[in-house]
This record gives sequence, structure tokens and C-alpha cells, in this order.
Amino acid sequence: MLPKELRESLKDHIANIDHPRELAVDVMFTLQDHYGYLSDEAVKEAAELLEMTPLEVDEIATFYTFVYREPVGKYVIHVCDSVICWMDGYESIKDCLCTKLAINVGETTADGLFTLLPVCCIGYCDMSPAMLINRKVYGHLNPEKIDSILEKLKAEA
Amino acid sequence: MSKLIIDDREIEVSPGTKVIEAAAQLGIMIPRFCYHPALGSVGACRVCAVKFIQGPFKGVQMSCMIDAQDGMVVSTTDEDVADFRRHVIEWLMLHHPHDCPVCDEGGHCLLQDMTVSGGHGIRRYLGKKRTYTDQFLGPLLQHEMNRCIHCYRCSRFYQEYSGYRDLGAMQSANRTYFGRFTDGILESPFSGNLSDICPTGVYTDKPSRYFGRRWDYQRSPSLCINCSLGCHTVASIKYREVKRQEARFSEPVNGYFICDRGRYGFFYSSLESRPRMARINGKQCTFNQAQHAMIEKLEEIKKNSGSAAIAAVGSLRSSLETLVMLAQLCQTKRWRDPACFIDSSQVQNVKTAISRLEPQLRVSLRDIERADFILAVGADPINEAPMLALAMRQAQRNGATIVVIDPRPVSLPFPFLYLPAAPMALSAYLGSLIKAVVNRGTADKMGDGARKFYDRIPEGKKLAEAQPPLSSEMLQSLQQSRRPIIVCGTEILSETVLSLSADFALLLQAAEKQAGLFYLMPGANAFAGGILSGEKDSFLQIIEQIEDGSIRALISVEADPFWWFDDRPRLERALDKIDLLVVLDYLDSQAAQRANIFIPTATFYESGGMLINQEGRVQVAPRALLGGIPISQAGGGDHPPRLYDVGIAGFDPKAAWLTLADLANGAAQEDEKALQQHLWKQISDLIPQLATFSSIDEIPQEGIVCSCGVNIDSRFSINWSAASNIRHDSGDDFDLIEVDWTFGTEELSSLSPCLWKLERKPCLVMHSGRAEIIGLTDVDLVEISTETGSLEAELRTADNMAPGILVLPRHRKLAWQIFTPGKIRIRKDQIRKKQ
Repeated sequence: MLPKELRESLKDHIANIDHPRELAVDVMFTLQDHYGYLSDEAVKEAAELLEMTPLEVDEIATFYTFVYREPVGKYVIHVCDSVICWMDGYESIKDCLCTKLAINVGETTADGLFTLLPVCCIGYCDMSPAMLINRKVYGHLNPEKIDSILEKLKAEA
Repeated sequence: MSKLIIDDREIEVSPGTKVIEAAAQLGIMIPRFCYHPALGSVGACRVCAVKFIQGPFKGVQMSCMIDAQDGMVVSTTDEDVADFRRHVIEWLMLHHPHDCPVCDEGGHCLLQDMTVSGGHGIRRYLGKKRTYTDQFLGPLLQHEMNRCIHCYRCSRFYQEYSGYRDLGAMQSANRTYFGRFTDGILESPFSGNLSDICPTGVYTDKPSRYFGRRWDYQRSPSLCINCSLGCHTVASIKYREVKRQEARFSEPVNGYFICDRGRYGFFYSSLESRPRMARINGKQCTFNQAQHAMIEKLEEIKKNSGSAAIAAVGSLRSSLETLVMLAQLCQTKRWRDPACFIDSSQVQNVKTAISRLEPQLRVSLRDIERADFILAVGADPINEAPMLALAMRQAQRNGATIVVIDPRPVSLPFPFLYLPAAPMALSAYLGSLIKAVVNRGTADKMGDGARKFYDRIPEGKKLAEAQPPLSSEMLQSLQQSRRPIIVCGTEILSETVLSLSADFALLLQAAEKQAGLFYLMPGANAFAGGILSGEKDSFLQIIEQIEDGSIRALISVEADPFWWFDDRPRLERALDKIDLLVVLDYLDSQAAQRANIFIPTATFYESGGMLINQEGRVQVAPRALLGGIPISQAGGGDHPPRLYDVGIAGFDPKAAWLTLADLANGAAQEDEKALQQHLWKQISDLIPQLATFSSIDEIPQEGIVCSCGVNIDSRFSINWSAASNIRHDSGDDFDLIEVDWTFGTEELSSLSPCLWKLERKPCLVMHSGRAEIIGLTDVDLVEISTETGSLEAELRTADNMAPGILVLPRHRKLAWQIFTPGKIRIRKDQIRKKQ
């Protein structure tokens, strides 16, 4: 269940807008931040708040890479899987991440720390190959750099 | 008009026609997946590519996206486009499973056709195929997502076209998934159309699963008799049973689609319990024995009590042939005129509607789609005639304002303006609408009668009492409309409101609007019943005359009064009193079970015949199958027994009108052709528009709209002082209205097991404020007691309805027949909470 204050603040926000549907993504992100991912329950809550059906919310939720419909790790790594990064060695970056984390793309490490997801262009072509971890961008990647980033995050966790 | 050349042939089409449609008019079927005439173009599947050689466009383009224009030269066979299409099909086939041999769509699969005709014969892709988990979508459709080619027809039909919101497209790109949020029964009563429009086997018909390929079926055009609209269907028959039904295109009636009640409402025709043998006093006998007994008994009664002691009941699900023959039989034998309606108000309503359907006023379902303002008065489209709701949805999508004035909590799959009005207040609302949009000068144009009518509309105070008031939004959009249509039910209204709606439509036409009028009627052939019935011919009258002893015998033709008569104990007493009950039917109805003599009849599929829909459209369906016990029953799942006998087991039933003809002639008639010709003469005398045809076979597929019964003298003749006499809602009692639901209240479709799961739980509906006053809440179990009996049901409360109304569905699971026919008033002390 959503805490009362959060629900009320979302309701207020929605009440101030002509077409509640416009806020679908914002509401989904808020619920995702609260639950860690957009659970089925969260989809139903979002639907109720937005006067949409759960299906209509799910249509949007499943379309977007940054809305997680399954539980994810503490750090979600979005490794860029688009043209410029392909030219600059995406394959080896992806392989390197997979080996170091011992998971495949789309999976979460056993300790629940990292989830690895491909994303089609994050707009940092100038820093390619690039990735996002919890909305922070890391560019000009190479195996050493990845090592240090992962170590740092592990230490912080 | 635009003139263009497609594949070296010239064609002229109206502006706005897409190239794909222009080609279709030449008989050239350009491949398509996402394009559907009803859904329009999106240009998503890329398979309708053609080559533009001359004109404003050049090169390979999508024919569904480009309007045909003057000077275009188009090739559909050019090497480049053929190659392009072959590649597109190869992409679409990448993940498609090789399950055609076990897929129910195999044989009528558009993807299969396009793959073969497009020239993609050998699969080059060797990778792993994408797979999905299927969902349970209810008893009507089987889901098989692996077959999907992502044309989006299903979600576009489901959400955009029909306005339901529980099936759609999830995820993206190659993972796109069409389905629901979770497994569950689809909410739309139009969901069956998904199996028709899916170009491959993602949604296939579940009840007929694994039963046959399309080419195994005898497919025959037919008509739906599950409501008064008369939608066109295709009946698929195999092993002597109707096994599947699909929508059949009809420009003026149903377009490309039908509702689930119509699509799956055919199971009654091959039920195991269907009586195939005649019976005398419950004992099976041969058809001839029963027929002799019937003729003999009726003679006896005639001798003892006179011809007028014999009465007949007709049915609104019978063919025009049967109804005409019944009327003729009664006439020649000097029996009472047949009754097809329950009480005098029902027959008068239908007769009023018929008399007011002037040719320039009546509109088809297609016209409704083009309306820019629809006023529905006392009509509940989704429950009474679902396809009407689908047509109204199209009008709404095109920007029409929809106003519903009704006492019931009406729900529709689109936004509309709603006024919860007691039936008594409806004429007041119509009066104020007329005053608001038509001025006196306009009324004057229609003549003296119209002016007097206009002047007599009660002014001010009385109308103002109609609560809640009409909103300015309603008035404004009606004033601005060009093509307003008034939709009017005939079930819960008084004939005054029906008349008034027609007068309103006439005045709107005088105000230079292309106004139209659309009535709903209480049964598939109610229009025919209305033409053939006298003002007072009703079943209630028959009951009264049985009670006073003047009627001694009753012949019920395909009618089951137990289903629709309000007072069950009274009906039973009456039937106990008479000397003879003859029932002709194809259902094992309660009346059939009580009959002294029962004679089986053929279903509409087995007899074919004519129906007149609520618009006055005479339509014909040929015989779809001969009859007989289905093989699945005769053989108990195995080969049927090898019997040394002539004819087919269970082949006794014949069309009711043939049995009636035998009865009229006093003996079985050999020459069916001669009988048919004779009957045709009768029918064409009755309906002058048919006189130009020499036989039933010449009636065109879209039917002939008849205007028999139209009476322009009844214009502007309502009695305002009676109509505006609004009874003040005292708050102490309720007007009970008996209503239809999409599923569970209609006699034939209620026998389809696959529809049972779609029925809502039967309940009484009351205004929540009123329920609170008498100490009831939502989902309470309540009991209503009358002098006749008591009825137990769940109570549901609603805010969006007229307060002084109690709504009761005539649901098959409720023993609701405990009321006195006519206007039913329930005092609050008759309603009690059950513990």
C-alpha cells in the first residue's frame, strides 16, 4: 500500500491537470521510487490514481526501458546499445560487465546489487561507449574504468 | 472524382479513397495486414506496397496511406514491389511458428494466403524464435501470441473502434505483446470480432476449436435473431450442427462486425435437450400422429365451443413466413387473431413505432455512425442491441455529442451526457428540447397540426419540474448539429414518447437538419409482429379470456410465455384451465413441456426465411442446414450407429409455417413449392415493396426497406395534458422496470453455455440515496414480495439513475415472474432485507 501522504500528494498533482493521463510517467516513477520497481500492485494503484485501466498503465510502463516491471538490484546499469557505442566497442564493454558481474544482460547479481540492462541510446554519444548507473552517466568506458566504478559502488553499498 | 490507372486499368473513385480501396473496386486485392476498411490506415505492416509510376507520388509506396488522385499510374505487379512485399512477408514470418497443420486458423488465414501468394516459400532464418506466454481470455477466444505478426488490428479494434480498455499492446518492438494486464475474461461484448479481424491465428474461436477447417464447414449466409437489429452472419455447419458463427459484411446494417450475443447465440439449435420428436401428453410419437391429434382435437373444441374458443400465440423470433401463415390460419379458421406481444402497451408501442417510421425519417445503423448528435431516449444500447452501441461509438469518435435520457444506469463504451429521468418525465424533456431548438416559425412550416402541437407544449413551470434540468451543453450541441438522430427504445416507454420522438425528428428536419429516427424493438421480428397484430391483440388478453372461459384451446408457435409473462402462477392457472395446449417449437421450453400436443419445428437456420428488422428492412436468410440430430450426439463421440432406416435421425422438425399450412388445409401437404408460392403472394400483398419481386430469392442481400404501416396522420397528435402529467416521486414507492441485459436475459442466447460465464450476477438496481432511506446497502440480499410470490436477489445501488425506479433484469437465473402485468409499482414495505 502506498503511504497516505504520497498518495495525497500525487492526487493533488493529478487534480491540477486537465488530462491525468499526461502524468502517467511521473506517477509511475514516483511509485517505482517508492517500491523499488513498478510492481503489479503499483500498476493498479497508478491506474486508480490516473483514472486509467491497469492495462493502459501497463502499455506505457512496459514500453519504457526506465520503468522496471520486475525487481531490480540496488544499482541499475543501463549500458548503451546504439549505433555510436557499437562503433566504439559496445560489445566488449557489455561482455566485460557480464563477466565481472557474472550475469547476463537482463539479470540481477545474486547479492542484489547490480542489474544489467541494455538501452538504446542515452544521448551521450560524445562520451561513447557510455552507460548510466542509477541515472548517473559514465563515459569513455574501458575495462579498468568499469572495474573501478563497480568497486566503488560495491564499497558504498 | 479522381481518375487513375491501376495495373493498366482505369478507375474513377470518389475523393479520399485510398489506392488500396480503388484497387479493390477493380477486383485487385492488394495484400494487407494492418489495413482494414473499418479501422482505416496506419501504414504499419508495409505489405500493401505498390509502385507509383506516374503522378504526384513516385516509386514504392504504401497503397493504404495514399489517396487516389488524378493522373496516377500504379502497378501492383511491378518487379520491385513484388520483391519488396516478398521481403516484408519474410520478416513477418521470421518468428511465426510452423503450426499451420494444427492451427485453427489454417485454411482461412490471411498470413498463410499472403505468404504463399507473396512468394515466400522457403524459410531462411535459422535463429531462435521469439516466444510468448499466452493468456486465458475467457470462454470465447483462444490466445496464441506466438503467431502474432504485430499488425495492431486487435488493439485498434478493441480500444479505438469499440472503446473497451482491457486489451491492448504492451512492451515494444520485437517483444510487443497483445493481451490483458492479467489473465481474465475480456470485458468487451464485441470481443468475438477479434477472431474475424486477426489476420492470423492469435485469436481463434474457442467453442469450435479443433472441430474443422473452414473448408470442412457448410458456410451459409444467415441473420442474427438475438435482437431486433438483424445483423448479417455466416453460419458454419459441420456434422449437422451449427458450430461457429462469423460476421458477414452488410453496408446498411452491421458493417463488418457483430456482437458476442449474436455470434455465440446459436447453441440452442443443437442442444442435446432440443426436442426432435413430437409428443402427445408427454409421450413421444410420430410427427404425423401428433399432427392428426392436433387437427382432431381442434375440430372437437371448435364443435363444442366454437372457433372463437381457439387462440394462437406467435413469437418475435419466428420468421415472417411463420407469422404470416399463423395470421392467415387464424383468419381462415375464424380463431382469435394471434397475439405476438405480452400486453397491449407492448403491441401499441411497436405499432406506434411502425406507423411513425416515415421513409424520410428512418435511418440505418450506418447513418448512426455519421450522425453528429444522438439523443437516446429510453434505450440502453449495450444491453438491448449491442451493435447499436458500436455504431454510436463511431459517431462519438467522429465528434458527435451523445445524450442519453433514461431512468436506468446506462453505461456505454464512450463518453456521453446522461440525464437520469423517470419514464414519466421523458415527454417533458422532449418538450423542452423541442422548445429550445425549434422555433414557432419552423413548426408553422410543417402545417397547422405542427403549429398547434408546438403551441400546446406546456410552458415553463411543469417542464421545469423535470429534474435534473437539461444542460446548456446538450442544447447547444443539438442546436449546432447538422445530422441529429433520435434513438428510441420501445420497451420501457409510453407510446407518447415514441410519437413525440418522431414529431421531434420531423421538426428538426423542418429546421433544416438531416434528422433521423431509429427505434429499437422487443424482438428479431417485432416489426412483422407489429404489422400483423391488431391494437389489442396481446397475450394478456388471451389470459383474461381463458380466465373468463371464452378461450378453451391455445396454440403457441415458437413462443414461451413462461419466459416473458410477468405472472407465473396466473399463467399456470390459465394453462391448467384450458382443454388443449398445442406447442410448436424448437426449444424445450416450459410451455413445450406442459403441452398436450407438442410438435417440433425447425430453427431459423434449418428453415431460412424472412425477418423484418426494427428499421423495417425485410431481409432473407437461406436455409443453412437440413436438420437432424448432430453426429456428435447421435454417435456419442464415435461413429453414429448404422441404422437401416430411411431419412436422418431427428429429422422430424419442419418449418413452423409448413405445419401451420397443413393445419390450415386439414391435412399434410405434399407440394411444398405450391405452398411457398401461395405464401409469397400473401407476403407480397402485405408488403407492397416486395411486389416487384417474383420470389423470395430476388430480394437483395441488403434487404428491402418497407414502409407498410406508416401513417402520417398520426403526426403531431399527442395529448400534451396527459403527457406532461408528471407523477411526483413520493419517495415511498418504486416504479419497477424490467430490462434486458447483454447476456442472460435473451431467450436464445441464454442457452449458450459459453456465454454463461459472461453473465453479470443478476441483481436489482436501486438509487443509492433511496436505498439508504429504506435501510438497504449495496450487495444486500433482498426479497420483494407481491400477492403472487416473492423474489430474492442481490441489491446493487447506483447514483446515476432515476431515484423512483427499481430495475429488474429478466434474468434466466431469477424467478422474476411474480408481478401483475402492466405498470408495476412496488411499495417500499414490499422490499425487505434478507438475513
